Amino acid sequence: MTEISPNSGTSTRNRLAQWLFNPFMFVAGLPALSAGLAIILISGFFCWLGSTHFDGVLDCHIGLAAQWWIFPAEGLIDWILPAIPLFFFGLIISKSSFRLIDVFGTQALARWPYLITAVVMLPGANQKVSNYMIARLTQVQPVAAVNFADIFIFALAIFVTILMVVWMVVLMYRAYSVSCNVKGTKAIVTFIIALIGAEIISKFAVAWLLSNMR
Amino acid sequence: MKILPTTCPACNEQLKVKALLCENCHTEIQGAYDLPPLGQLSIDDQLFLLDFIKASGSLKDMAGLLKLSYPTIRNRLDEIIERIKLAESTGKSNKGKNL
Repeated sequence: MTEISPNSGTSTRNRLAQWLFNPFMFVAGLPALSAGLAIILISGFFCWLGSTHFDGVLDCHIGLAAQWWIFPAEGLIDWILPAIPLFFFGLIISKSSFRLIDVFGTQALARWPYLITAVVMLPGANQKVSNYMIARLTQVQPVAAVNFADIFIFALAIFVTILMVVWMVVLMYRAYSVSCNVKGTKAIVTFIIALIGAEIISKFAVAWLLSNMR
Repeated sequence: MKILPTTCPACNEQLKVKALLCENCHTEIQGAYDLPPLGQLSIDDQLFLLDFIKASGSLKDMAGLLKLSYPTIRNRLDEIIERIKLAESTGKSNKGKNL
């Protein structure tokens, strides 16, 4: 076996921070794709339990109950739609040759904070407060009372969700940067364009999916 | 083993070789020689390339043995290639000036 000295590796300092904010230094390709797809499917299961819809690349809403397959399908749409333009932007702006599986694999793994979102959205209090707010806004349903504990759980879930959105966007950018070897202004601008474009298209795609469900 | 410095500790400019010594007959050659492109790289980069050669140039093997992802290894190699190209182009332009 080839002997390799460990001195050419990255410093082990801040390894935890790198695992949290740039795990793609250590994982990419098929392992990232497998883990990412597993996470998307497990998130879909929790979303089904809590009727939580990831109805856009960055969206998370508590909504109507639906058939079980709708939830993982939403996750897959949210993964694939930004990955495609990021791959093509990478082809345009990167000076390196890179692999398709790294782009799609790292983008799938970058969605793992939404597994936490799916879990924190599980408590029934979220659904209760959400229904209460909708009822108050639309004034078409009788308003069911909510208590302080419900509001506290809902507020906590919203806070965690906002953190997870920010974390996921950071991971998605890191995934793009590492897998396509792109940095700087060009990388940031193309990432924002891909993200906004994917967000818009994903809203239509999920709406189409939900309309076909009925 | 002493580590060969490649950049000036005062101004960070690329160092040149001023003297070469034969340890056998103590002949000393003085001049101003450019370091070869690989010698101009940082110690970290040189060690990385050494490991890369030991791994028969396989990025996949390097990734596995260093416990880093394939694109991380490839990106690092690409950065080193850019630095080598820069060193080569600087060397060529210096030769042009000296002619």
